[in-house]
Formats: sequence, structure tokens, C-alpha cells
Amino acid sequence: MTNFFLQALSEVGSFSVMGLIILGVLFGIIGGSIPGFTVTMAILVVFPFTFAMDPVSGVSLMVGVFVGGYSGGIVSGVMLGIPGTPSSITTVYDGYPMAQKGEPGRALGIGVMSSFLGTIISVAVLVFFGPLIASFSMNFRPWEITSLIIFALTLVAGLSNGALLKGLLAAALGLLITTVGYDRNSNLRFDFDLPALSSGFEMLPVMIGVFAFSQLLGNIEKLRDGDGNGKGVDTNVSIPYRQIMKDMAGQKLNTLRSSLIGSLIGALPGTGGTVANFVSYDQAKKFSRHPETFGTGTPSGIVASEASNSAVAGGAFVPTLALGIPGDLPMAIMMGVLILHGITPGPMMFEQNPVLVGAIYASLLIGAVIMVLCNLLLVRWFAKISLIPQQILVPVVLILCAIGAYALNNNLFDIWVLFIFGVVGYLLWKAGVPLTPLILGVVLGNNLERQLFRALELDPNWLTFLTRPLSALFLALAVTSVAFSLYQDRKLKRLKPATNN
Amino acid sequence: MLTLTKDRALALALLLMVAVMWVESGSIRPPTSWQPYGSALFPRILLVTIGLLSVLLLVRSLFTRVTPVASWRTEISDWFTRRKIVVALFVLFGLYAALLPLLGYIVATISFLVASFALLLGIDTKRKWAINLGISLTLVPLVFVIFRYGLNVWLP
Repeated sequence: MTNFFLQALSEVGSFSVMGLIILGVLFGIIGGSIPGFTVTMAILVVFPFTFAMDPVSGVSLMVGVFVGGYSGGIVSGVMLGIPGTPSSITTVYDGYPMAQKGEPGRALGIGVMSSFLGTIISVAVLVFFGPLIASFSMNFRPWEITSLIIFALTLVAGLSNGALLKGLLAAALGLLITTVGYDRNSNLRFDFDLPALSSGFEMLPVMIGVFAFSQLLGNIEKLRDGDGNGKGVDTNVSIPYRQIMKDMAGQKLNTLRSSLIGSLIGALPGTGGTVANFVSYDQAKKFSRHPETFGTGTPSGIVASEASNSAVAGGAFVPTLALGIPGDLPMAIMMGVLILHGITPGPMMFEQNPVLVGAIYASLLIGAVIMVLCNLLLVRWFAKISLIPQQILVPVVLILCAIGAYALNNNLFDIWVLFIFGVVGYLLWKAGVPLTPLILGVVLGNNLERQLFRALELDPNWLTFLTRPLSALFLALAVTSVAFSLYQDRKLKRLKPATNN
Repeated sequence: MLTLTKDRALALALLLMVAVMWVESGSIRPPTSWQPYGSALFPRILLVTIGLLSVLLLVRSLFTRVTPVASWRTEISDWFTRRKIVVALFVLFGLYAALLPLLGYIVATISFLVASFALLLGIDTKRKWAINLGISLTLVPLVFVIFRYGLNVWLP
């Protein structure tokens, strides 16, 4: 593996790939720092530019966006009091008060350093656990993979903020979308006599349509309701390096704990940066000798928030690369990009594409260093960019999404797919249907069907799914996750009237 | 009369979709001796799942207390009125998708951007027009050049 890593490092270290990582990190920070834009949207906008690239270049660019995006939320969080991404909500709790006390540079510096350390620690977790889980999952047969996919989908559906039923519906709808067109036996399904439907829906236009339209048009609605950006900002920030080093020296344990929490949560399907952010902040507060200072501008709060949300980057790659099951939305899109480049994430990837795996490790490490440099040197500019109004941003991003969808196959039908799924995604979102399970269903649908029928072809007995221990374990976990979500939903409902009273 | 809530509308729409797709699944090639499970089994499993979950959603919605509204037609028209900018943006994007093969990337995209900016920013001052045209006329050719010459992707 060391040889492959060195080979990957030499490829990633080339002038052109380094340039792409720098561009990716810059764009990620900009995307993350614009409230309402999110890391996912930044990844969606950049992915069409990877079409013409070789896999290492394309993946390095995307990893750069990923690393930059997770750190970008800190800029608007500290300067505007608005989290740039949902994964930096708790950064605002202490970053903004510190900035209001006249120390925005200190808050930004602590946040950036924590992001850097969080990313580095998560890469160590990825390097250690990725191959371990991959080699373990080499023993998985179709029964285990089928059950694992079902478990991942139920887990994601169950984590949909009190909307279990709609989460499960979304996951099933996502799976159903993948059944349109020719199947594994070259039989045509659901084409409604339209030739354009015979090849099915491309995964990426569906994903972009469902996610981007609901997100962007939701931002426009918020503006109308007077909930948009537009607060003034003092962009004259100076970074007190010595003070930051002193602050960070007193946060070693907090940094390590928060990074490990972020890595672990990142590796779980359906959780991601937002959950990591809250859990880590809560733990930092519980372990603190001065919990009363949280929320008033303490460095511990910023470290807990930023180290954990950046550590999600490395952790989230573990199930994606090792099992071929993306944990969250950005990873689902990242997996789509890998598939586009002819690489199938999963246990075999470590054997078949070791250089690419090494390139991902190397890009994460290099991206983290570039992220620190960019953030510290260009923070004033990022603060200004975070004020770009949504009225300008939304049409521009819609156009880039349309071009991305078209450029995939030079096919105008994909723009219609984008549009139709944009309408569907927006309506589902308005009906309170969580979209992440739907997108994961789209990503995993073909594999689920393939594995299910491979299992049945090997052994026609459906009970084999329950008699093989690992498969039974995954199915039991799926049932448990649904039962637990039902319990949580009921608890939430009982709490709601009490709160209202 | 029952009020049309979000959950009820969603459940009914999904049940309708399930019915249409179930009928359509009848035209999928039936199982053969070497394809014993056939190609319709997996989508039918999903359709049954969606159908059952939709019925559950519908039943649950019937037990939820809702404020009665005048009529569902007024509700729907209010919904559209409250979101007229979003609906207009969807219409503009649909027009863009339709006009793209006829007008080509440059003309269609500039038209879409100018119209969208006019809708979202307004057209009441010269500054807004300057922002609108400035971004539209620089961004569209720039993206064209990047894709055409940098990435070798031919735009329509």
C-alpha cells in the first residue's frame, strides 16, 4: 500500500493536479461560506468540470471542494452569525459572540486550525479503518450486501427528523426510479413507449434535479419571507497567530475527541456533519470545567464544532470506499462521480484501484494544508463573497446544473430529466418528504436489485437472508432502526403539545 | 367534506402513481425458464411497498386534526399565489430547456439569465439592469469557452 500511496502522492503532487486541488478548496470555501449554498451544492456545480479529466484529477478536484466546503461554513458563521452550511451551526454559538467582542480574527483562526486538525485526524482514521473494513467486507456475499443496503436505507430514512414514514417512502421512490429502462436481462421496463426512457434516467441529473431545485428555490422562498442574508459585515480582519497557537495548545483533548466523534459519525450512514457538529459540541460542554462559558464566545465551542464537522470528510469516505455505500448526500454525489469515471466504489476498489484510493488520501491531506493557507490569507475576501445575494446566485447555479446535466452525455433529454425531477423534488420537499433517502435510493437501486437476484439465483429460498448470520444481523439492525425511529417520533409528538402549552 | 392536507395530497398522488405503474408493469416481459423471477418482480415489490406506505400515510392523516378550509380549490390557488416567483422560475427553466435546441446555448442561456435576474432582482433601477446584463453577458460566453476549449465539451 505504501508504494501505491507514494505513486498517488507523486500524481497528486503534479503541477496540474495541485492547481485543481487549490481551485477545488477555494471554490469549496466560497460555497461553504455563502449561507444556503452548502457543500453539496458546491460539489454539484463543480462535477461537470471533471468529465474531461482523468480519474485522479477529477477526484482530487472534488476532494478539494469537499475539504474546503466543510471549513467554509465558519466564515459566514463568525462574520454574519449565519451558518454557511448546516454542519457549522454550533460554530455560530461561540464564533459569532467572539467576533462581536471584537475578536473575529481569533474566532476564524481557531476555527480554521480546528478544521485542519479535524481533517488530518479523520484521514488517519480513513487510512486505518478503510482497508480493514474493505478486507472484512470481501467476505460479503449477495445476501449480506442486499441486507446491508436495506439497513443503510432504513437508517437514513429513520434519521429524517420525525418523518420515518415519508423517509421510507422517499427511499422506495428512489429505488423505483432506477427500474426505468432496460434491466439486467435487457428487458424494457416503464418506458411508456417513449424511446428516450428506454435507457433509463442518468443518476446525476436526477440527483441534481431533486436536490438543487428544492434547495435553491427554498432559498428564494426564505428571501421572500425575510429570512435571507444581507446583514452588514466588517471585513477588516487580522489573524492573531500567537493567540491562536496559545488557544489551540489548551484544546488538545477537545480537538482529538471532537475529531474522533466527527470521523465516527461521518462513517455512519445518514448522519453527516450536522449531527457530528451537535454531538461534539454537547460532549465538549459536558467534559468542560466551565460549561457556563459555552455560547458566550469560548474557544472550546469553536474547536468542538469545526474539528468535528471537518473530520466528517475523512470518516464519510470509509463506508463509501470500503462498502460502496455512501453515508450522506455529498458522498452519494461523490460516489456518482466515481462511477462516472468508471470506478465502482466497494471492497474491490482497494485491490483494483489502489492508486486512486491513495490519491484520495493524498488529496485530503494536501487539501487540508491548502485550506488552512487559503482561509488565513484570503479570509477578508471570503467574508465579502459570502454576501453574494441569492437573487444572483440561484439563476447562475441553475444554469451550471443544466450544463452539468447536458455535458454528461451531450444529451438534451438529461436537461428535461433535471427539470422534471426538479419539480418532483421541490413538491416532495414542500410535502415534508426528506430527500436524502430518495437520493441514496437512486444511488443504490441498481446494486440492490443486482445483489437480490444474484442471491436468489444462487439459492431460491428467501429464508437464506435470515439464516446467514451477517445478513440476519443487518436485517435485524434495519428493523431496530425503524423501531427506534418510531419510538423517537412518538416521543417528539408527545413533547410538542407540552412545548406548545 | 375532507380537507386536502399535504399528507393526504401526497398519499393520493403516490397511490395514483402506483396504480399507473402497476398497469404498465403488465407490459414487462414475463418470467422465462432461465429468468425465473422476471424483470417485473423487483419494481412490483417496490410498488407494493410504496402503496402500503401511502395507505398508512393516508390513514394517519385522517386521524390528525386539521383546520377546515373554505375549499381545496382556494387552497391550491393560494399555494400558487404565495409561490409565484418560484413557479415563474420553474416556467422560465422549462422554457429554457425547450428553447435550448432551437436557439443554441449562448442565446438561450443569456435569455434565461436576463429573465431570471429581472424576476428576482427587479428592473426598477439602472444599477439592477447593469448587474443583470453585466453578469449574463460575461458569464455565459466564459462558461462556453471553458467547456468548449478547456474541457472539449460541445454545448448545443
